[in-house]
Amino acid sequence: MTEMDKHTTPPKWPAKFLRFLLKDEYLEEIEGDMEERYRDNLELFSAKKARRLYAWDTLKLLRPTLMRGLKREYRLNHTAMFKNNLTIALRNLRKHRSFAAINIAGLTLGIIGAILIFTLVKYHLSFDTFHSKAERIYRVTTEFHRKEISREANVPQPMGKALRDDYTFAEKIAMVYSQSDWLVSVPSAEGNNKFEQDIAFAEPEFFDILDFPLIQGDKNTILTEPNTAIVTERIAKKFFGDQNPMNQMIRLQNKWDFRITGILQDLPINTDRRDEIYLSYSNLKDYNAWLAGNSSWPGLSGGMHCFVLLKPSVLPSEVNRAFPELSKKYYNERNAEIYQFKLQPISDIHFNPDFGGYLAKKNLWALSLIGLFLIITACVNFINLATAQALHRAKEIGVRKVLGGKRVQLFWQFIAETALISMLALVLAYVLAQLALPYLNQLLDIELRVNIFQDVYLLTFLPILLLVVILLSGSYPGLIMAGFRPTTALKGKLYQKHVGGFSLRRGLVVTQFAISQLLIIGTIVIASQMRYSRQADMGFTKDAIVMLPVAEREKSTISAFNSEISRIANVEKIAFCSRAPASRGWASVTVRFASRTEDEDFDITVKAGDDQYVSTFDLQLVAGRNLHPSDTVREFLVNETAVKKFGEQSPQDVIGKKMQIGLNNSEGIIVGVVKDFHNNSFHETIDPLCITTSNKWYTECAVKVNPANLQPTLSALETSWKEVFPNHIFEYNFLDEQIARFYEMDNMIFRLIQIFASIAIIIGCLGLYGLVLFMAAQKTKEVGVRKVLGASLQSILWLFGQEFTRLLILAFIIAAPLAWWVMQNWLENFTYRIEIGAGIFALAIAATFLVAMLTVSFQSIKAALTNPVDSLRNE
Amino acid sequence: MKKNRLGEFQELVLMTVIVLQEDAYGVEIQRNLEERLNERLSVGAIQTALKRMVEKGFLTSEFGEATQKRGGKRKRIYQATPYAHRVLREMKDIRSSLWQAMPELGLSNT
Repeated sequence: MTEMDKHTTPPKWPAKFLRFLLKDEYLEEIEGDMEERYRDNLELFSAKKARRLYAWDTLKLLRPTLMRGLKREYRLNHTAMFKNNLTIALRNLRKHRSFAAINIAGLTLGIIGAILIFTLVKYHLSFDTFHSKAERIYRVTTEFHRKEISREANVPQPMGKALRDDYTFAEKIAMVYSQSDWLVSVPSAEGNNKFEQDIAFAEPEFFDILDFPLIQGDKNTILTEPNTAIVTERIAKKFFGDQNPMNQMIRLQNKWDFRITGILQDLPINTDRRDEIYLSYSNLKDYNAWLAGNSSWPGLSGGMHCFVLLKPSVLPSEVNRAFPELSKKYYNERNAEIYQFKLQPISDIHFNPDFGGYLAKKNLWALSLIGLFLIITACVNFINLATAQALHRAKEIGVRKVLGGKRVQLFWQFIAETALISMLALVLAYVLAQLALPYLNQLLDIELRVNIFQDVYLLTFLPILLLVVILLSGSYPGLIMAGFRPTTALKGKLYQKHVGGFSLRRGLVVTQFAISQLLIIGTIVIASQMRYSRQADMGFTKDAIVMLPVAEREKSTISAFNSEISRIANVEKIAFCSRAPASRGWASVTVRFASRTEDEDFDITVKAGDDQYVSTFDLQLVAGRNLHPSDTVREFLVNETAVKKFGEQSPQDVIGKKMQIGLNNSEGIIVGVVKDFHNNSFHETIDPLCITTSNKWYTECAVKVNPANLQPTLSALETSWKEVFPNHIFEYNFLDEQIARFYEMDNMIFRLIQIFASIAIIIGCLGLYGLVLFMAAQKTKEVGVRKVLGASLQSILWLFGQEFTRLLILAFIIAAPLAWWVMQNWLENFTYRIEIGAGIFALAIAATFLVAMLTVSFQSIKAALTNPVDSLRNE
Repeated sequence: MKKNRLGEFQELVLMTVIVLQEDAYGVEIQRNLEERLNERLSVGAIQTALKRMVEKGFLTSEFGEATQKRGGKRKRIYQATPYAHRVLREMKDIRSSLWQAMPELGLSNT
């Protein structure tokens, strides 16, 4: 009997084998068939043979159609699961609408910030990278080795010729001399035919080195003949409208005619070479014969640049080593020490402040860091809200686990939900970034574009950003939820401590607050410094002064103009000068004091100004007297710094001494000393400076006006000006606005930080709001019980308030030293700067506190006012 | 048409399914065919043919009763679809037209 039993059932192992290998849905049928077959065989053959046949048949079942595949079998199941996950995710979003909105809003803001910052940083990094030979293009720059080393992007004019004659390292060398605001007129045009344009004298090789393609004209002949010019398409349209611009004439400075022989494609936005009119370099001699000659080595003229294209095998360091030899050849022994030259790669031009670069790279990195901060705050928000909400989903997770849901599945389910929200946020952010961009462009005066279809970098950046956001914000809550114990979860006995508890939540909120406060303190410090720069006493009057150009500088014209405008009512003072007391550029030249035989080892800044200069700008004389009227250089005023630099003890000591300056080798007597005033922005120190009379240097006229009734005064000035200078374009500037322009870059950074600080604060507040919303829901019962036992409204509000106050103070303790350090570094850029006082920190914490309290108060008051009957009723 | 063509063995199995009607489950089909063909078949061969034909849409199936002999496991009863009937008839037509077209010599040889 037992023997029979043993044989009536088939051996066990093939069945196990089958279960492992065959598709689940076929298993029952096939196992059944096999057993039936086995019993059939038992009747026909011996038990042994039946068993053998059974095993043999089992092996024969191993066919692809019947076996577990790698994918086929699961596909259906997966879509179903995916659909289910999606449904649940959408249901959750709908069910907790406010949380979903806060989450999406926070992420969207963060991503907008990231997209804009990415675009901005990428835009700046792309400057002048489009030239096909960019890695071999260099600019020659000048280093002055005196007591201190100073650097300039300008080089002596004969540099190009010297490099070509004496050296072989370069494939191409091109000199280009850029000048701003030249008067360009179009003789053939009727009506308004005068324009103010930036121009450049350029050697034809310039266009072999840099990639500015021609759309009309012959590349081999452009700019080779004298009196030829090429212009961009935009300028051609502006000058000639729809006419063919080729071979048309333009007139420069009312003196020189040029024929247009080529049209350049419009300049790309990401180049620092903004000249749109190029003139034949051989005409430089018409403008300044001395400069164009071969002996102008000691004079450095602003805008004179030398570009070289190195041969592929040449290293820039080799060239730099050869330059001292060049200095020795073309300078006397003393100057050969002072004038040193260095190559600057074209990729450095946009970023190097030493050579007038637009934006230092560290600003870009700082900006990127802020972008990262924004993303982190947004993700922190998400984590915070998601973990807070996790309890609501305890039942769901419990049920899923009981039904066999695995940890990994639950984890990915949550990641998928995060992905859904993040993708929504990303799409929203992309659209909003598009909408915000015009404002940003206007604010920063640039032309950025956000278009994923044209921008490969953005196209790669966005998916990476999305992935980072999803993983950063989704993985922690995902792990927490996947880790719930089903029994506890289903019993409803999960508490805050199971989902990371308050300590984690606190840590995250503190991080957020710290980032916001860092940005707030930064904003306040920059704002204070900007206000200080604008309002601090510069040592001269800058209000209500209008600066007019002096287009022609003949003695008769100047006096005619003077008498013309002095008749205008409300004009209080008139001074002819080269520049206002604080200005960029003009002249900085060598100086020789008293009867010394050598030049001083510093350059002196020269301001030309007539006898009215001191009184118009309210400069203070500390010794001697003012300048007497004169048409040429006869007397000097110097500032206190110059006195110190000359090595003299008191201002009195320099009065009556002789002085010679390197500007046309002018000589005169020092008659007075003016009190130091700021002749630069607050970024720089006060230079040694002298003021002297000379008609031919008077490029500007400072008119002090009565600020009341400004408009008629300005139009009267315009009428008079146009009468005296009929062939020129009238343009005026207020001095205080001109000075405000010193801080353009600081202003730009200020605006950016302001924007991104506000975004960070808003994200932080959203998170805070979500948290307090959750806290209020959690504490409903507690509040009810407290109220029943007689707690006052204030004490309940304090229940909510104390938590956040504590977090805020903790965040402040972290943020304050960090902010102090960062901002101290930033302030180092200014020679004259504010102190970071306690006031700034107090203001920062007060501001954060106010914002936080406003955010928290609504929900806490609502919670505190709830009737305890409602909150305690349902049990 | 090409993709869904029946193999020779599949055609035999299909016809057996139609013949057996309500009894058309794996082992029964196998017994029936073994008798007709007079050779041993494996469960795997039958099952593969059945599953392939289900995939191709020639057969539908549902669970039937469970028996002691099968260790309490249910049978799966197969049924041919109208499409299967059509294809079978088409194949028969093709065959008979070919038979008719065959030269006399060939016929007498068998």
